[in-house]
Amino acid sequence: MESTLMEKTQASTLGYHELNAMLNLYNDEGKIQFDKDKLAARQYFLEHVNMNTVFFHNLKERLDFLVEKEYYEPEVLDMYSFEFLTKIHDYAFSFKFRFESFLGAFKFFTSYAMKTFDGAHYLERFEHRVVMTALVLAEGSEERALKLVEEMITGRFQPATPTFLNCGKAQRGEFVSCFLLRTEDNMESIARAINSSLQLSKRGGGVALSLTNIRESGAPIKKIEGQSSGVIPVMKLLEDSFSYANQLGARQGAGAVYLNVHHPDIMKFLDTKRENADEKVRIKTLSLGVVVPDVTLELAKNNEDMYLFSPYDVEKVYGVPFSDISVTDKYQEMVDDARIKKTKIKARQLFETIAELQFESGYPYIVYEDTVNRTNPIEGRINMSNLCSEILQVNTPTTYNADLSYNEIGKDISCNLGSMNIAMAMDSPDFGGTVEAAIRALTAVSDLSAIESVRSIQYGNDQSHAIGLGQMNLHGYLARERVHYGSEEGIDFTNIYFYTVVYHAIRASNLIAIERGKVFGNFENSKYATGEFFNKYTQEEWKPATARVAELFATAGIAIPTQEDWSALRDSVMKHGIYNQNLQAVPPTGSISYINNSTSSIHPVASKIEIRKEGKLGRVYYPAPFLTNDNLEFYDDAYEIGPEKIIETYAAATQHVDQGLSLTLFFKDTATTRDVNKAQIQAWRAGIKTIYYVRIRQMALEGTEVADCVSCML
Amino acid sequence: MAETKHKIARPVNWNKLEDPMDLEVWNRLTSNFWLPEKVPMANDIQSWATLRPEEQLVTMRAFTGLTLLDTIQGTVGAISLIPDALTMHEEAVYTNISFMESVHAKSYSSIFSTLCSTDEIEQAFRWSEENPYLQKKAEIVLGYYRGDDPLKRKVASTLLESFLFYSGFYLPMYWSSRAKLTNTADLIRLIIRDEAIHGYYIGYKFQKGMEQETEARREEIKAYTYDLLLELYDNEIKYTADLYDGLGLTEDVKHFLHYNANKALMNLGFDPLFPREVSQVNPAILSALSPNADENHDFFSGSGSSYVIGKHEATSDDDWDF
Repeated sequence: MESTLMEKTQASTLGYHELNAMLNLYNDEGKIQFDKDKLAARQYFLEHVNMNTVFFHNLKERLDFLVEKEYYEPEVLDMYSFEFLTKIHDYAFSFKFRFESFLGAFKFFTSYAMKTFDGAHYLERFEHRVVMTALVLAEGSEERALKLVEEMITGRFQPATPTFLNCGKAQRGEFVSCFLLRTEDNMESIARAINSSLQLSKRGGGVALSLTNIRESGAPIKKIEGQSSGVIPVMKLLEDSFSYANQLGARQGAGAVYLNVHHPDIMKFLDTKRENADEKVRIKTLSLGVVVPDVTLELAKNNEDMYLFSPYDVEKVYGVPFSDISVTDKYQEMVDDARIKKTKIKARQLFETIAELQFESGYPYIVYEDTVNRTNPIEGRINMSNLCSEILQVNTPTTYNADLSYNEIGKDISCNLGSMNIAMAMDSPDFGGTVEAAIRALTAVSDLSAIESVRSIQYGNDQSHAIGLGQMNLHGYLARERVHYGSEEGIDFTNIYFYTVVYHAIRASNLIAIERGKVFGNFENSKYATGEFFNKYTQEEWKPATARVAELFATAGIAIPTQEDWSALRDSVMKHGIYNQNLQAVPPTGSISYINNSTSSIHPVASKIEIRKEGKLGRVYYPAPFLTNDNLEFYDDAYEIGPEKIIETYAAATQHVDQGLSLTLFFKDTATTRDVNKAQIQAWRAGIKTIYYVRIRQMALEGTEVADCVSCML
Repeated sequence: MAETKHKIARPVNWNKLEDPMDLEVWNRLTSNFWLPEKVPMANDIQSWATLRPEEQLVTMRAFTGLTLLDTIQGTVGAISLIPDALTMHEEAVYTNISFMESVHAKSYSSIFSTLCSTDEIEQAFRWSEENPYLQKKAEIVLGYYRGDDPLKRKVASTLLESFLFYSGFYLPMYWSSRAKLTNTADLIRLIIRDEAIHGYYIGYKFQKGMEQETEARREEIKAYTYDLLLELYDNEIKYTADLYDGLGLTEDVKHFLHYNANKALMNLGFDPLFPREVSQVNPAILSALSPNADENHDFFSGSGSSYVIGKHEATSDDDWDF
C-alpha cells in the first residue's frame, strides 16, 4: 500500500526524463515498466511540446507566416494549389498519428521539427514535416504527394535524416546523406579532398575517402627516396577538417578513410586507433575502414607472408592508380616484379591486429573487395565504401591542371537513402506500390541534388542517379509474428522479403526509365543491359522454404515474384533500361528508426531496452518495438544471438542487394580476437560484402551492477 | 607481533592462486584499462558554453573535489592497503588500482584543460583547498589510512570508493541525462566503471579479513563502520549543500548519497542503513550510472564507454579451413 502511494506521488512529480529512465528499471514485480514510457511521452507533450508550439488559427495563416518569415521555401508550396495544400494537410492529420515511444517524440522534436530562429518554439508537428517532405519529393504531382504522405505517416517508408530534416525549409542543408571521394597520389588531389570534405560536411553529409592510392611513408618524391610522409598526416588533416565543419551546429562533420590492406602503411594506419597511441598519430573521431581482397584471406589460410606494395610504383608500372587494379589478380605478378618496392608482414598477424583494434575501438570496417566486385552489375571497379559501409559503387579518378583547375572530372559517389519499415510494409495493402513510391521518392532526391562545390560528386550523381533503398525493423517484425531472429524461418523470411523487394525496385526503376526515356550513364555496359544480372532469378526458382514464411506472405496478400515475372522484367529492362545505377543499400538506421518505431536496420536489438546516447539527446531509453512483458522470449539481443545467426541473416539479404548492408558484429566480453577472426572468415565465406562495427558488451562484474536495472540483468 | 616474520623475497606466481577472485579482478581491471586521451573531450566545448556561469562553477568545483579524492586514493589509499594484503596477487591488484586512480585524477585535468581557462582552473583548485568540508572529508579518510588497523583501512577505502565519490559523480550524470557534456559523462562513466570494481574488491577483501576475527572484534569493526559512515555522512551532507544549493539539486543528491552509502555497506557485507524511501534515486541518474557497456551510440557522438582491451588468441589452421 505504502509503495503504491509513493509511486503515485512520485509519478506525478517526475519529469519526462525520469519517467523514461524508469523503463530501464524493473518494478517491484520484476516487470518492465512500459507504461512509464507512455506516460513520459504524454508528459513530454503536456509539459514541453504543447507549451512551446506556435499557434496558428488556420493553415493559410500558418503557411503565409512561414513563407514570409523565410522558414519555408515558397517554390515548394507554389507547385500546388492552396486547395490541394488544405487537402493534403487534412489527409495527413486524418491518420491520427501518435509516437509509440518517448524517444520517438523526443528525437523528432529535438532534431527534426522546425523551430523559430531563436530555437525557442516549435513550428511543426510530425504531420507537417511529413507533408513538406512529400510536397518536395512529389515534384508537383498531387497523386504522388498524397501517396507519399500515406507511405510516410503509416511508417512504411521513412526518408533518411538529411532528406526528412531539410525538405521544404528555406534555411537548409542538402538532402543527401553520404559521399565517397577518391584521393589520388598527388598534392592537388589531396588538397582537393580536404576542400571537398569541408564543403560536404558543411552541407550535411558523412564523407568517406579512399587513401589507397597515396604513396607510403618513406616513398620517393621527385625520385628522391625517403621523402613522403604517407597516409597518417593526411588522416590528421582530414580529422581536423571534419571537426571544424559542422552543419549549422546541427551535427558534427563525420568522416571515414579506407585503405587497402596491401598498402605499406597499413599497420601504422591501424595503430592510430590504439588505446596507447601517441598523440601525434592518434585518430579519435575519424572512422577507419580496410579493403581486403580474397588473396589476403588465402595467404592467411596458408599462414604465409603477405606483401605490401608501394602505390607509387604500382601506378608507374600499370599506368593506373593502385585502387583500380585487383590485388588478387595481380598479386603474384606484383610479387615477381622487381620494379615494385615491397615489404611483408604475416597475413594472420594482420587479421589478429584488426581484431584487436576492433576490441579496443570498434574499428576498422572491412570491405571484402573481390566479393563486392564479383556481384557488382555495373562496369567499373569498386574500391571503397562509405561511413556506414553500405554504399558500394564504381568511381573514376579526377585529374587537375597546374593552376589547380580540373583537367578531367571523374566520377565520385553520393548516395541518398531511405528505409522501409518491414513490419509496416508487410501490412501494406499494396506492397509493390510501397516499394515503387519509395524508389520514386529517392529518385526525386537524386534529381533535386546538385552539389556544385564538388564537381566530381555532381557529375557522378548526374550520370548514375544512384539511390539506396534500405530496410529496418526486421527483428521487430519477426518478434511480432513470433518468429525467432536467426531461426530457419527468420532467415527464410529475410531471403524471400529481399527477393520480393529487389523485383519491385528494379520494376520501379524500369518504369521511370520508360516514362522519361532515360537510363543511367553506361547502362549499355552493365549486366542489366546484357540480361546476365537476371539469370539467377530466371533460371532458379525462389520460394519460401518454410510453411510459416509462405503463410506470412499469403496472409499479407503479397505475391512472391515468379520466374515468369522475372523474365518479363528482364525483357523490359533490356529494352528500356533502368534509371538508377544503384537501387538498394541497407544503412544502420539510427535516428529514423526511433521516430519510425523500428528496430535498427536488419540487426537484432542491442538490448530489450536500448540505451541511446547522442550529443543532442543525452541518454535516453528506448523499448524495442512491439515488446511486451509477454513476448520477451522473441527479443534475445544481438549479443545473445551471436555473430553466426546475424551473418546467416545478412547473407540471405545480401544476395538480393546490389550495394551493401551495414553489418555489425556483436560479441560478449568472453570473446577473443580469434572469435572475431572466425566471424570475419565466416562472413567472407557466406558472401557478406562489408562489416561495419564490431561491438563488445562487457557486463558489470557480479556485485557491482545497478540494482533492478533492466539492461544490466536481461 | 608475537613472531617476527622471516622475510624472504618471493616472486608472485599467478599460476598458483590462493584466491581466484584476485585473478578475476585483475583480468577485469586490465581489460578495462583506458586513458583520458581516448575520449574526444573537445566535442563538449559547445555544450559547456551553454551552461550558465554558476553551473560551470559548480561543475568545476565538483571535479576538483573528485580530483582530490582520486589523488588521495592513488597516492595514499590504495598503496596503504598493500602491506595488509592477504595474498601476493592482492598486492598486484592494489598496484593496478593505485595506478588507475592516478589516471582518474589526471583525467579531470584533461576535462579542465579542454573546457576552461587556466585562471578558472586555478580558482577551482584553490576552492578545493579552502573548502572546509572537502578538507574534512580528506582528513578523516587520511587519518584512517595512516592508522594501524588493516580492517579499518579497508572500511575507509571502501567508503571512499563506493560512497564519497558519488556526490561528485552526480553532476556529470545529471548533465548527461539532459544532453549536456555527454563526452565528459563518458569519461566519468569509465571512472565509475573502475570505482565500482575497486569498492567491490576492497569490500570483498575486508569480508575475507573479518572471517579471521573473533566475534567481539567483528562487532567492534561493525560499530566502527557505522560510526565512520555517519561521521562522513554528516560532513558529506554539508559538502553537498555547499556545492549544490545554488542549483537546487541538494535533495536529489542526498537520495543518491543514501543509495550509495547502502551500496558501500553491502560491499562490506553489512546491512543497508538508509530506508528505501530516502534512497530512491532519480531514475535518470540511476539508469545513467549503469556500468555496463550496452549503450548504443552513433559515430557523431563520441567513443562511448563500451570498448575494452581485447583478449588475444591466435587463430589455428582449422579456423582457416575453406
